[in-house]
Amino acid sequence: MTSEKKSFSGAKRYVLDDELAKIVNISMALEMPLLLKGEPGTGKTMLAHAIAENLGMPLIVLNVKSSMKLVDALYQYDTLTRLNDSRFGDSKRDVSNIEDYIKMGKIGQAFTAGERTILLIDEIDKADTDFQDDMLDVLDQMEFDIIEIDKTIGAKNRPVIIITSNAKKDLSDPFLGRCNFHHIAFPDPKMMRRIIRVHFPDIDSELMESAVNVFYKLRELDGIEKRPATRELVNWLRALKSDPDFKAKDLGKGDIPYLGVLFKKSQDYEKAVNTVSRRRLT
Amino acid sequence: MFIGFFYKLKEAGIPVSPTSFLTLHKALSRGLVSSLDDFYTASRAVLVKSERYFDLFDQVFAHHFEGAEMPDYEGVELDELARSLLESWLKDPKTLASALDLDESEIAKLTPDELIEYFKKRLKEQKERHDGGGRWIGTGGTSPVGHSGNHPGGMRVGGGSRNRSAVKVAMERRYRDYSLDGPLTQAMVGEALKRLRNMIPAGPKNRVNVDETIYQTMKNAGEIEIVFDRVLKDRLKIVIAIDNGGWSMDPYVLVVQTLFDYARAQFKDLKIYYFHNTVYGTIWQDPSRYKKPQKIEEFARFDPETRLVLVGDASMAPYELMASDGSIHIEERSGKPSLECLKFLAKNFRHSVWLNPMQSNMWGYTQTISVIGRIFPMFELSIDGLEKAVAHLMAK
Repeated sequence: MTSEKKSFSGAKRYVLDDELAKIVNISMALEMPLLLKGEPGTGKTMLAHAIAENLGMPLIVLNVKSSMKLVDALYQYDTLTRLNDSRFGDSKRDVSNIEDYIKMGKIGQAFTAGERTILLIDEIDKADTDFQDDMLDVLDQMEFDIIEIDKTIGAKNRPVIIITSNAKKDLSDPFLGRCNFHHIAFPDPKMMRRIIRVHFPDIDSELMESAVNVFYKLRELDGIEKRPATRELVNWLRALKSDPDFKAKDLGKGDIPYLGVLFKKSQDYEKAVNTVSRRRLT
Repeated sequence: MFIGFFYKLKEAGIPVSPTSFLTLHKALSRGLVSSLDDFYTASRAVLVKSERYFDLFDQVFAHHFEGAEMPDYEGVELDELARSLLESWLKDPKTLASALDLDESEIAKLTPDELIEYFKKRLKEQKERHDGGGRWIGTGGTSPVGHSGNHPGGMRVGGGSRNRSAVKVAMERRYRDYSLDGPLTQAMVGEALKRLRNMIPAGPKNRVNVDETIYQTMKNAGEIEIVFDRVLKDRLKIVIAIDNGGWSMDPYVLVVQTLFDYARAQFKDLKIYYFHNTVYGTIWQDPSRYKKPQKIEEFARFDPETRLVLVGDASMAPYELMASDGSIHIEERSGKPSLECLKFLAKNFRHSVWLNPMQSNMWGYTQTISVIGRIFPMFELSIDGLEKAVAHLMAK
């Protein structure tokens, strides 16, 4: 496979640290799924997008939901359409051929695709443990059965599998045993500045410095339930930049506008507003 | 190759599996690893499956490849010292101030946390001087000064990651905050408690099961067959009793408060009570333990399937537990020793646990802890302990 020789080195909109790049390359070479954990906003999902962009491979995203069953991710037997066809018979599908009514789910799509794909399984922790274990079996064997037509679907090309988890639950041991693991820590100020440069190439450095400073101080407030992450910071900067009355100096004076962009929960917001108005944060 | 390293990881308590060790060798034999740096990233990604063990891994790695000193229990000792310091501070600020070369008024300005931090810093300096800075002896080329544990977060991670050696990275112990004995956060507590959910179908069959209906209709050759289900409901009842009195619990109040905040949101039928040190005839529904008393005899009327969770440090004078008029509050005279009351509760509720915020290796030093531990299964109030406690509560 020529695709194996490709290696990953970052993408346009994504700032990658060396360590993570190495881990991605090792996982691709070992053909093992890579499990990424980390608090929200550390770019777990973005990584898969970046790999896809960088290696020019199609990306298939499976967004896991709590009610999801494994079969939903593999294939769907569209009984309703078949019932409709059998009663009214106005389609080109052959009602006696069940295979016409099988639709591939996201994992199925990744297996049957003509080329090697990136399969992103997002927020696996939402589903229950049975789902996770069963899924790993499928990804291990690289094949699954469609019971209705008694057919085995094997992967034409082994997809590159990226799994993300929001660091709430620990996943089960057999699951972990079959993945490589990496934990993405929250970026430090230096890294954050690089990330901001990627998003706003022409940003005023004074604005960036004071915004990053204030941002990290706000993150450290006590008793905040949902701490602002990279996404919030980027949106906040966007808001600051679009406000013609705003001057970067004001941040240094402890005048912090648009706190609502950073704090999404009303309790957190009140706490932040209180702290900011009580004492200067700089 | 590296079998010694593998066993060291295992001994340090990281759950490493032989399979993953073989995977690592696969990576090695394919030439994916060409330097020690690569080996660090590769072995961590393949062998260690939770960020809670990253810190331990870093320590073992540094030890194995550079001969850095293995972690000892210094941290624990420090915490214990700090705690006793706090106690003496409460009793006698003046002596302490002079012992620390500080003015009494200055000490009064510090919060307890700041005081402990200050104290730890002083203690470490002291140590350094005595030991002659020998903590990282044998580290070869790496600079011992910046890494001697004085500034755990001293060197920053991120941007300039290119030229640092893996051992230096490992020595930085970046993942300390994620390690097992890291702080208990609301999210973790919430996740642990979520497993207490016990969904069972209840009530009339009045919800259409669409999938099943379609399936049965197909089986029926297209004749409509509607399938109904019962609604899932959480029927689990929980009683939490928190020891919120006395300064011996003070350092833990925040942790317990977290537990308590989350508990509110998790269950429908949840009762919270308060007590001081241990349970006598009465416990209270209000945190001030004054307005709404509840006789514990009335707990007999509760559903025996109710899960009882007691939170407290279980540390008190033995007579408070054993004597029939042991309560330090004069109005609390039930005539029964507290021990009997606890046994009554334990008998009444099949599923009960006692969560203790003290570290479990300290339990042996307090008599009352082991006495209560024989009545209620006792777990540490930490992520691991909570998970074990929940597993115990949900056991049949």
